[in-house]
Amino acid sequence: MADPAGVGVGWRPEIAGVVSDVEGLGFAEVVAESFAPAGPPRGVADLRERGVTVVPHGVRLSLGGTDPLDPARVTHLAACAAALGAPLVSEHIAFVRAGGRDAGHLLPLPRSREALDVLAANVARTQAELDVPLALEPIAALFDWPDDEYTEGEFVTALLDRTGARLLLDVANVHANAVNRGRDPEAVLDTLPLDRIAYVHVAGGVEHDGRYHDTHTEAVPDAVLGLLGALVDRLPAAPAVLLERDGGFPPAARLHAELATLRGVVAGARVP
Amino acid sequence: MSVHWGPDAAGPLAQRQAALVDALVAGGPAPPGFDAADLDATRRALLRKRAREAAAQWPLLAASYGDRWPSVFAEHRAGHGPVGALRDGWDVARAVTGLPPGAAAELAGREAAWRYDGRRSPRPRRWRRLLGRVRRGR
Repeated sequence: MADPAGVGVGWRPEIAGVVSDVEGLGFAEVVAESFAPAGPPRGVADLRERGVTVVPHGVRLSLGGTDPLDPARVTHLAACAAALGAPLVSEHIAFVRAGGRDAGHLLPLPRSREALDVLAANVARTQAELDVPLALEPIAALFDWPDDEYTEGEFVTALLDRTGARLLLDVANVHANAVNRGRDPEAVLDTLPLDRIAYVHVAGGVEHDGRYHDTHTEAVPDAVLGLLGALVDRLPAAPAVLLERDGGFPPAARLHAELATLRGVVAGARVP
Repeated sequence: MSVHWGPDAAGPLAQRQAALVDALVAGGPAPPGFDAADLDATRRALLRKRAREAAAQWPLLAASYGDRWPSVFAEHRAGHGPVGALRDGWDVARAVTGLPPGAAAELAGREAAWRYDGRRSPRPRRWRRLLGRVRRGR
Protein backbone atom coordinates (compact mmCIF):
# COMPACT_ATOMS: atom_id res chain seq x y z
CA MET A 1 0.00 0.00 0.00
CA ALA A 2 1.07 3.55 -0.70
CA ASP A 3 2.97 5.54 1.93
CA PRO A 4 0.90 8.12 3.80
CA ALA A 5 0.40 11.26 1.71
CA GLY A 6 -1.76 14.34 1.80
CA VAL A 7 -3.82 15.22 4.85
CA GLY A 8 -5.44 12.50 6.93
CA VAL A 9 -7.32 12.05 10.17
CA GLY A 10 -7.22 9.60 13.04
CA TRP A 11 -10.16 7.22 12.62
CA ARG A 12 -12.29 6.97 15.77
CA PRO A 13 -15.68 5.22 16.03
CA GLU A 14 -17.31 8.51 17.13
CA ILE A 15 -16.39 10.21 13.84
CA ALA A 16 -16.58 7.23 11.47
CA GLY A 17 -19.21 8.92 9.31
CA VAL A 18 -17.39 12.25 9.28
CA VAL A 19 -14.12 10.60 8.25
CA SER A 20 -15.73 8.63 5.43
CA ASP A 21 -17.17 11.89 4.04
CA VAL A 22 -13.86 13.76 3.94
CA GLU A 23 -13.16 14.85 0.39
CA GLY A 24 -9.71 13.88 -0.79
CA LEU A 25 -8.82 12.03 2.42
CA GLY A 26 -5.07 11.35 2.15
CA PHE A 27 -4.83 8.57 4.73
CA ALA A 28 -6.04 7.53 8.16
CA GLU A 29 -4.77 6.00 11.35
CA VAL A 30 -6.33 3.56 13.80
CA VAL A 31 -5.30 3.10 17.43
CA ALA A 32 -3.82 -0.40 17.35
CA GLU A 33 -5.05 -1.34 20.83
CA SER A 34 -8.66 -0.56 19.81
CA PHE A 35 -8.45 -2.47 16.52
CA ALA A 36 -9.36 -6.13 16.00
CA PRO A 37 -7.47 -7.40 12.92
CA ALA A 38 -9.96 -10.25 12.43
CA GLY A 39 -12.99 -7.97 12.54
CA PRO A 40 -12.23 -4.40 11.52
CA PRO A 41 -15.02 -1.83 12.02
CA ARG A 42 -17.17 -1.22 8.94
CA GLY A 43 -15.84 2.34 8.53
CA VAL A 44 -12.21 1.19 8.44
CA ALA A 45 -12.99 -1.68 6.05
CA ASP A 46 -14.74 0.82 3.76
CA LEU A 47 -11.68 3.09 3.74
CA ARG A 48 -9.49 0.14 2.79
CA GLU A 49 -11.86 -0.87 -0.01
CA ARG A 50 -11.56 2.67 -1.37
CA GLY A 51 -7.78 2.26 -1.35
CA VAL A 52 -7.18 4.69 1.53
CA THR A 53 -3.96 3.95 3.43
CA VAL A 54 -4.65 3.15 7.11
CA VAL A 55 -1.72 3.13 9.55
CA PRO A 56 -1.89 1.28 12.91
CA HIS A 57 -0.76 3.58 15.71
CA GLY A 58 0.23 1.82 18.93
CA VAL A 59 -0.10 3.60 22.26
CA ARG A 60 0.48 0.86 24.87
CA LEU A 61 3.62 -1.01 23.81
CA SER A 62 5.79 0.87 26.34
CA LEU A 63 8.92 0.73 24.16
CA GLY A 64 10.89 2.70 26.75
CA GLY A 65 9.77 0.56 29.66
CA THR A 66 12.17 -1.62 31.59
CA ASP A 67 9.39 -4.17 32.20
CA PRO A 68 9.79 -6.88 29.52
CA LEU A 69 8.01 -6.07 26.27
CA ASP A 70 4.69 -7.93 26.10
CA PRO A 71 5.06 -10.35 23.14
CA ALA A 72 1.27 -10.40 22.61
CA ARG A 73 1.25 -6.63 22.08
CA VAL A 74 4.05 -6.86 19.50
CA THR A 75 2.24 -9.67 17.70
CA HIS A 76 -0.99 -7.66 17.75
CA LEU A 77 0.72 -4.62 16.20
CA ALA A 78 2.14 -6.81 13.41
CA ALA A 79 -1.30 -8.40 12.87
CA CYS A 80 -2.88 -4.93 12.59
CA ALA A 81 -0.34 -3.95 9.91
CA ALA A 82 -0.99 -7.19 8.00
CA ALA A 83 -4.79 -6.89 8.20
CA LEU A 84 -4.69 -3.28 6.99
CA GLY A 85 -2.00 -3.87 4.38
CA ALA A 86 -0.31 -0.90 6.04
CA PRO A 87 2.94 0.52 4.63
CA LEU A 88 4.24 1.21 8.14
CA VAL A 89 3.23 1.24 11.80
CA SER A 90 3.93 3.82 14.49
CA GLU A 91 4.51 3.89 18.24
CA HIS A 92 5.93 6.27 20.85
CA ILE A 93 9.22 7.12 22.51
CA ALA A 94 7.75 6.64 25.95
CA PHE A 95 6.86 4.18 28.66
CA VAL A 96 3.34 3.52 29.94
CA ARG A 97 3.83 1.02 32.76
CA ALA A 98 6.46 0.03 35.29
CA GLY A 99 6.70 -2.46 38.10
CA GLY A 100 3.49 -4.02 36.78
CA ARG A 101 1.51 -0.78 37.28
CA ASP A 102 -0.08 0.92 34.30
CA ALA A 103 -0.05 4.72 34.13
CA GLY A 104 -2.73 4.72 31.44
CA HIS A 105 -0.75 7.38 29.60
CA LEU A 106 2.48 7.95 27.66
CA LEU A 107 5.23 9.02 30.05
CA PRO A 108 8.61 10.56 29.18
CA LEU A 109 11.94 8.79 29.54
CA PRO A 110 15.17 10.15 30.91
CA ARG A 111 17.27 11.14 27.91
CA SER A 112 20.13 8.93 29.07
CA ARG A 113 22.32 6.17 27.63
CA GLU A 114 20.54 3.66 29.88
CA ALA A 115 17.12 4.61 28.47
CA LEU A 116 18.49 4.63 24.93
CA ASP A 117 19.69 1.03 25.40
CA VAL A 118 16.27 -0.06 26.69
CA LEU A 119 14.50 1.66 23.79
CA ALA A 120 16.88 0.33 21.14
CA ALA A 121 16.46 -3.26 22.38
CA ASN A 122 12.65 -3.04 22.51
CA VAL A 123 12.47 -1.34 19.12
CA ALA A 124 14.70 -4.02 17.57
CA ARG A 125 12.52 -6.75 19.11
CA THR A 126 9.41 -5.07 17.64
CA GLN A 127 10.97 -4.50 14.22
CA ALA A 128 11.94 -8.18 14.07
CA GLU A 129 8.26 -9.12 14.07
CA LEU A 130 7.06 -6.39 11.71
CA ASP A 131 7.07 -6.79 7.92
CA VAL A 132 6.90 -3.00 7.48
CA PRO A 133 8.91 -0.03 8.80
CA LEU A 134 8.31 1.40 12.27
CA ALA A 135 7.99 5.14 12.87
CA LEU A 136 8.56 6.53 16.37
CA GLU A 137 6.85 9.58 17.86
CA PRO A 138 8.40 11.84 20.51
CA ILE A 139 5.68 12.62 23.06
CA ALA A 140 4.42 15.74 24.83
CA ALA A 141 5.26 15.78 28.52
CA LEU A 142 4.77 18.30 31.32
CA PHE A 143 7.98 17.28 33.10
CA ASP A 144 11.54 16.15 32.44
CA TRP A 145 13.71 13.70 34.30
CA PRO A 146 16.33 15.41 36.47
CA ASP A 147 19.33 13.78 34.84
CA ASP A 148 18.99 14.17 31.06
CA GLU A 149 22.29 13.59 29.27
CA TYR A 150 21.00 14.54 25.81
CA THR A 151 18.70 17.15 24.32
CA GLU A 152 15.56 15.73 22.76
CA GLY A 153 17.02 16.26 19.27
CA GLU A 154 20.19 14.36 20.16
CA PHE A 155 18.24 11.59 21.86
CA VAL A 156 15.79 11.07 19.00
CA THR A 157 18.54 11.20 16.37
CA ALA A 158 20.63 8.64 18.27
CA LEU A 159 17.64 6.33 18.63
CA LEU A 160 16.70 6.51 14.94
CA ASP A 161 20.35 6.02 13.93
CA ARG A 162 20.65 2.92 16.10
CA THR A 163 17.37 1.33 15.06
CA GLY A 164 16.75 2.54 11.52
CA ALA A 165 13.26 3.57 12.62
CA ARG A 166 11.60 6.57 10.99
CA LEU A 167 10.23 9.69 12.66
CA LEU A 168 6.58 10.40 13.35
CA LEU A 169 6.85 14.09 14.17
CA ASP A 170 3.97 15.55 16.18
CA VAL A 171 4.24 19.33 15.80
CA ALA A 172 1.68 19.85 18.58
CA ASN A 173 3.98 17.91 20.92
CA VAL A 174 6.94 20.05 19.84
CA HIS A 175 4.85 23.17 20.49
CA ALA A 176 3.64 21.93 23.89
CA ASN A 177 7.09 20.90 25.13
CA ALA A 178 8.73 24.09 23.90
CA VAL A 179 6.22 26.61 25.27
CA ASN A 180 6.00 24.81 28.63
CA ARG A 181 9.78 25.10 28.97
CA GLY A 182 10.09 28.65 27.67
CA ARG A 183 11.80 27.59 24.42
CA ASP A 184 11.30 28.62 20.82
CA PRO A 185 9.39 25.80 19.05
CA GLU A 186 11.00 26.56 15.68
CA ALA A 187 14.47 26.34 17.19
CA VAL A 188 13.54 22.94 18.63
CA LEU A 189 12.35 21.83 15.16
CA ASP A 190 15.82 22.54 13.82
CA THR A 191 17.37 20.07 16.29
CA LEU A 192 15.18 17.15 15.16
CA PRO A 193 16.12 14.74 12.35
CA LEU A 194 13.57 16.13 9.88
CA ASP A 195 15.05 14.06 7.03
CA ARG A 196 13.71 10.94 8.78
CA ILE A 197 10.05 12.02 8.84
CA ALA A 198 7.56 9.33 7.80
CA TYR A 199 4.55 11.51 8.53
CA VAL A 200 3.40 14.30 10.81
CA HIS A 201 0.78 14.60 13.58
CA VAL A 202 -1.13 17.71 14.56
CA ALA A 203 -3.73 18.06 17.30
CA GLY A 204 -5.46 20.62 19.43
CA GLY A 205 -4.85 21.49 23.03
CA VAL A 206 -5.69 24.02 25.69
CA GLU A 207 -4.04 26.28 28.28
CA HIS A 208 -4.82 25.16 31.81
CA ASP A 209 -3.26 26.64 34.95
CA GLY A 210 -0.44 28.26 33.00
CA ARG A 211 0.55 25.18 31.02
CA TYR A 212 -0.31 24.10 27.49
CA HIS A 213 -1.99 20.68 27.52
CA ASP A 214 -1.96 18.55 24.36
CA THR A 215 -5.48 17.17 24.90
CA HIS A 216 -6.60 16.23 21.35
CA THR A 217 -10.05 17.53 22.36
CA GLU A 218 -9.91 21.07 20.94
CA ALA A 219 -9.32 22.71 17.59
CA VAL A 220 -5.69 23.02 16.46
CA PRO A 221 -4.50 26.43 17.71
CA ASP A 222 -2.98 28.96 15.30
CA ALA A 223 0.42 28.61 16.98
CA VAL A 224 0.50 24.89 16.09
CA LEU A 225 -0.68 25.62 12.53
CA GLY A 226 2.12 28.18 12.31
CA LEU A 227 4.67 25.63 13.49
CA LEU A 228 3.36 23.17 10.88
CA GLY A 229 3.92 25.88 8.27
CA ALA A 230 7.46 26.40 9.58
CA LEU A 231 8.07 22.66 9.27
CA VAL A 232 6.72 22.57 5.69
CA ASP A 233 9.11 25.44 4.84
CA ARG A 234 12.04 23.33 6.06
CA LEU A 235 11.19 20.21 4.00
CA PRO A 236 11.95 19.53 0.34
CA ALA A 237 8.43 18.16 -0.25
CA ALA A 238 5.09 18.45 1.48
CA PRO A 239 4.85 15.96 4.36
CA ALA A 240 1.86 13.70 5.01
CA VAL A 241 -0.06 15.26 7.91
CA LEU A 242 -2.61 13.59 10.18
CA LEU A 243 -5.07 15.33 12.51
CA GLU A 244 -5.65 13.56 15.83
CA ARG A 245 -8.94 14.14 17.62
CA ASP A 246 -9.79 12.02 20.65
CA GLY A 247 -12.73 13.81 22.26
CA GLY A 248 -14.96 16.86 22.22
CA PHE A 249 -15.80 15.84 18.67
CA PRO A 250 -16.99 18.83 16.62
CA PRO A 251 -19.78 18.85 14.01
CA ALA A 252 -18.77 17.36 10.66
CA ALA A 253 -18.51 20.75 8.96
CA ARG A 254 -16.03 22.05 11.52
CA LEU A 255 -13.82 18.96 11.29
CA HIS A 256 -13.90 19.13 7.49
CA ALA A 257 -12.99 22.84 7.66
CA GLU A 258 -10.08 22.05 9.97
CA LEU A 259 -8.77 19.46 7.51
CA ALA A 260 -9.14 21.98 4.67
CA THR A 261 -7.10 24.48 6.71
CA LEU A 262 -4.40 21.83 7.18
CA ARG A 263 -4.35 21.14 3.43
CA GLY A 264 -3.85 24.87 2.88
CA VAL A 265 -0.95 25.05 5.36
CA VAL A 266 0.72 21.98 3.83
CA ALA A 267 0.31 23.57 0.38
CA GLY A 268 2.19 26.63 1.63
CA ALA A 269 -0.61 28.96 2.70
CA ARG A 270 0.36 31.39 5.46
CA VAL A 271 -1.33 31.01 8.81
CA PRO A 272 -3.34 34.18 9.57
CA MET B 1 19.95 22.39 28.44
CA SER B 2 20.85 22.25 32.11
CA VAL B 3 22.18 18.95 33.32
CA HIS B 4 21.51 18.11 36.93
CA TRP B 5 23.66 15.41 38.46
CA GLY B 6 23.01 14.40 42.00
CA PRO B 7 23.30 11.35 44.20
CA ASP B 8 19.53 11.38 44.72
CA ALA B 9 19.00 11.16 40.95
CA ALA B 10 20.81 7.79 40.75
CA GLY B 11 19.31 4.32 40.82
CA PRO B 12 18.39 1.71 38.29
CA LEU B 13 15.95 2.86 35.65
CA ALA B 14 13.40 0.14 36.48
CA GLN B 15 13.02 1.31 40.07
CA ARG B 16 12.89 4.92 39.04
CA GLN B 17 10.19 4.29 36.43
CA ALA B 18 8.12 2.37 38.99
CA ALA B 19 8.51 5.16 41.57
CA LEU B 20 7.44 7.73 38.98
CA VAL B 21 4.30 5.77 38.00
CA ASP B 22 3.47 5.36 41.71
CA ALA B 23 3.81 9.11 42.22
CA LEU B 24 1.64 9.94 39.21
CA VAL B 25 -1.25 7.51 39.64
CA ALA B 26 -1.02 5.72 42.97
CA GLY B 27 -0.44 8.43 45.53
CA GLY B 28 3.28 7.73 45.97
CA PRO B 29 5.80 10.44 46.94
CA ALA B 30 7.46 12.55 44.23
CA PRO B 31 10.77 10.87 43.34
CA PRO B 32 13.87 12.92 44.17
CA GLY B 33 15.10 15.50 41.69
CA PHE B 34 11.83 15.96 39.77
CA ASP B 35 9.99 19.27 39.68
CA ALA B 36 7.13 18.71 42.11
CA ALA B 37 4.83 21.26 40.44
CA ASP B 38 5.36 19.68 37.01
CA LEU B 39 4.62 16.22 38.41
CA ASP B 40 1.51 17.49 40.15
CA ALA B 41 0.29 19.13 36.92
CA THR B 42 0.82 15.79 35.16
CA ARG B 43 -0.98 13.87 37.92
CA ARG B 44 -3.99 16.17 37.65
CA ALA B 45 -3.98 16.08 33.83
CA LEU B 46 -4.05 12.27 33.94
CA LEU B 47 -7.06 12.39 36.28
CA ARG B 48 -8.90 14.80 33.94
CA LYS B 49 -8.20 12.49 30.99
CA ARG B 50 -9.47 9.47 32.95
CA ALA B 51 -12.57 11.45 33.99
CA ARG B 52 -13.25 12.26 30.34
CA GLU B 53 -12.87 8.61 29.33
CA ALA B 54 -15.06 7.43 32.20
CA ALA B 55 -17.72 9.97 31.20
CA ALA B 56 -17.94 8.31 27.79
CA GLN B 57 -18.71 4.97 29.51
CA TRP B 58 -20.98 6.51 32.18
CA PRO B 59 -22.77 9.38 30.42
CA LEU B 60 -25.62 9.74 32.94
CA LEU B 61 -23.30 9.58 35.92
CA ALA B 62 -21.02 12.25 34.46
CA ALA B 63 -23.90 14.42 33.23
CA SER B 64 -25.51 14.45 36.65
CA TYR B 65 -22.46 16.34 37.96
CA GLY B 66 -22.04 18.63 34.93
CA ASP B 67 -18.86 20.71 35.17
CA ARG B 68 -18.11 19.22 38.57
CA TRP B 69 -17.62 15.71 37.11
CA PRO B 70 -13.79 15.95 36.83
CA SER B 71 -13.48 16.98 40.49
CA VAL B 72 -15.98 14.34 41.66
CA PHE B 73 -13.99 11.77 39.68
CA ALA B 74 -10.69 12.98 41.13
CA GLU B 75 -12.06 12.97 44.67
CA HIS B 76 -12.73 9.23 44.40
CA ARG B 77 -10.01 8.04 42.02
CA ALA B 78 -6.93 10.13 42.95
CA GLY B 79 -4.35 7.76 44.38
CA HIS B 80 -5.94 4.75 42.69
CA GLY B 81 -4.22 3.59 39.51
CA PRO B 82 -6.27 3.55 36.30
CA VAL B 83 -8.30 0.37 35.83
CA GLY B 84 -9.96 1.28 32.54
CA ALA B 85 -12.79 3.73 31.94
CA LEU B 86 -15.59 1.25 32.68
CA ARG B 87 -14.23 0.22 36.08
CA ASP B 88 -13.01 3.73 36.98
CA GLY B 89 -16.54 5.08 36.50
CA TRP B 90 -18.10 2.06 38.20
CA ASP B 91 -15.95 2.58 41.29
CA VAL B 92 -17.00 6.23 41.43
CA ALA B 93 -20.69 5.35 41.00
CA ARG B 94 -20.48 2.87 43.89
CA ALA B 95 -18.57 5.26 46.11
CA VAL B 96 -20.65 8.43 45.85
CA THR B 97 -23.61 8.81 48.16
CA GLY B 98 -26.97 10.11 47.00
CA LEU B 99 -26.69 9.30 43.28
CA PRO B 100 -29.19 11.31 41.20
CA PRO B 101 -31.94 9.13 39.62
CA GLY B 102 -30.43 8.94 36.11
CA ALA B 103 -27.02 7.95 37.42
CA ALA B 104 -28.60 5.49 39.87
CA ALA B 105 -30.50 3.84 37.00
CA GLU B 106 -27.31 3.66 34.94
CA LEU B 107 -25.52 1.93 37.82
CA ALA B 108 -28.45 -0.41 38.51
CA GLY B 109 -28.52 -1.46 34.86
CA ARG B 110 -24.84 -2.31 34.90
CA GLU B 111 -25.07 -4.14 38.25
CA ALA B 112 -27.96 -6.24 36.92
CA ALA B 113 -26.15 -7.23 33.75
CA TRP B 114 -22.59 -7.71 35.00
CA ARG B 115 -20.84 -9.23 37.98
CA TYR B 116 -18.09 -6.85 39.16
CA ASP B 117 -16.11 -7.66 42.30
CA GLY B 118 -14.32 -4.29 42.38
CA ARG B 119 -10.99 -5.91 41.60
CA ARG B 120 -11.18 -7.64 38.22
CA SER B 121 -12.83 -6.94 34.87
CA PRO B 122 -16.63 -7.19 35.10
CA ARG B 123 -18.10 -10.41 33.68
CA PRO B 124 -21.58 -10.78 32.18
CA ARG B 125 -23.97 -12.37 34.66
CA ARG B 126 -25.11 -15.93 33.95
CA TRP B 127 -28.41 -14.94 32.35
CA ARG B 128 -26.58 -12.60 29.96
CA ARG B 129 -24.16 -15.33 28.94
CA LEU B 130 -27.06 -17.72 28.29
CA LEU B 131 -28.91 -15.05 26.33
CA GLY B 132 -25.78 -14.44 24.24
CA ARG B 133 -25.50 -18.16 23.51
CA VAL B 134 -29.15 -18.33 22.46
CA ARG B 135 -28.72 -15.31 20.18
CA ARG B 136 -25.68 -16.91 18.57
CA GLY B 137 -27.75 -20.07 18.02
CA ARG B 138 -25.76 -22.39 20.28
